[in-house]
Amino acid sequence: MIRVVTLDPFDDKQLAKFNRTLYTAFGVGSEHSGSAEVPAGMSEPLDAEKLLEEVKGIRAYKDDKVLLLTSRKLKDRDLPSGKAPTSGFARYGKDRAVLSIAPFKDLEKDFKPIARHALHQLGTLWELHHCLDPRCSMYPPWTPSFNQGDHIFCTFCREKSEQKIRLAKS
Amino acid sequence: MPEGSAALQLQVGDRVVYPNQGVCRVAAIDVKEVAGQSLTFVTMRREEDGAVVMVPQGKIISIGVRKVASPSDVEEIYSFLRSDSDKADLDWKQRARTNLDRMTQGGILGLAEVVKGLQVLSELRPLPTKERELYDNARHLLVSEVAAALGTAEANAEDSIDIVLFPPGKERPKRTAAEFARPGGDEDDMDLDGDLMGLEGGELDLPSDEEPQAESESEEESSEEGAEEEGGEESSEDAPKKRGRPPKAKPAEGEGGEPAAPKKRGRPPKPKPEGVAAEGAEPAAPKKRGRPPKARPPEGAAPAEPAAPKKRGRPPKAKPAEDE
Repeated sequence: MIRVVTLDPFDDKQLAKFNRTLYTAFGVGSEHSGSAEVPAGMSEPLDAEKLLEEVKGIRAYKDDKVLLLTSRKLKDRDLPSGKAPTSGFARYGKDRAVLSIAPFKDLEKDFKPIARHALHQLGTLWELHHCLDPRCSMYPPWTPSFNQGDHIFCTFCREKSEQKIRLAKS
Repeated sequence: MPEGSAALQLQVGDRVVYPNQGVCRVAAIDVKEVAGQSLTFVTMRREEDGAVVMVPQGKIISIGVRKVASPSDVEEIYSFLRSDSDKADLDWKQRARTNLDRMTQGGILGLAEVVKGLQVLSELRPLPTKERELYDNARHLLVSEVAAALGTAEANAEDSIDIVLFPPGKERPKRTAAEFARPGGDEDDMDLDGDLMGLEGGELDLPSDEEPQAESESEEESSEEGAEEEGGEESSEDAPKKRGRPPKAKPAEGEGGEPAAPKKRGRPPKPKPEGVAAEGAEPAAPKKRGRPPKARPPEGAAPAEPAAPKKRGRPPKAKPAEDE
């Protein structure tokens, strides 16, 4: 089950459409599971890794994947090989991801690139690595062509995600 | 021999890399008796899923178990991935063999070579399924080892690798097969691309009975021309006979005649009736289809009475004669 938790107010109709897209992509149920508060003391741009650890009040079952949706900016990460542009972050194989729609206008106008980023973060939760196919949502998200693509997976990534979902314990 | 395994002294709690399996932690080193022999076993637990493997201590080096790479090794990996030196072999068999060796015995640099090589190859053409799986396995092992070496999350380790492989703001270049050519020019003939090992379509020497049907049809059409040519060929019997269709005679350029129109395919047109066009008479009316009209009586004759319409049904019975 995919649970979308909002950290900022969003339109319900757009959220319903967003959940339908996630359901279509992964074949598992997706719903808006309420909202949560950004921890006190965190200012914009938000530290994505810290945010995932410190957000409280999210109820989910084992094997549920939680996607935190925010309209605030996320801080770029400093990595040993350079600075990684960060519009979202997910821990590989874990259960929480965060996605910011700050680089885009809003959920309605830029629905396709936002959905593509969401698929990318949720794919990371289901242990998908970055893909070589520019059409796939698992292609590195900082490439210029990423936002132009559709919210789909390539055959390899789709099959791998389906296999991971089938093997889930619950 | 794998990197760093020459003097491998393991202790409980050490992190090691098992080839093709990933990062493991040494859980125990104990002596067990197997078939009357006492052997020292190293028990390793894979960090990813907790799978346990026991290896005799004497086989640790030959299997290729090694310690996790250091941060300085990871820096070397980044500089290797940043360079544009590695080109994959276009021969799939050679490539598969090399990649297998790199995966098992190449250390972290071997994993990086597999990832880089297949990534560069994917810029030329999409990877086949098996190589796509190999790429995913190599990437997974590389990411988990880099994460273990740097003590960071796997997502960060993967992004740090991909920032080098896919620099932000840049699209991947399109490669050409020429870039993959070896400098010595000793390309393998098994690749069979280009002109199919030098056999060009026009020079393919087929036996006469395997000539295409269309060719034989056009040959029939030009039988008249061929009759003259045959005479010419007979005169030059000394020359070695060429197999296949003889070349068509070209019209002499000195005659000044117009070049022959290209032959139309299909059924030849029906011959026109002679003299029609020459006399200048009107063209014959096109034949009407259907039943021909009845012949009309001549205009001078009296119009005959119209015949009584035939009665339908059974003919009337003949009346008996009244005289009887």
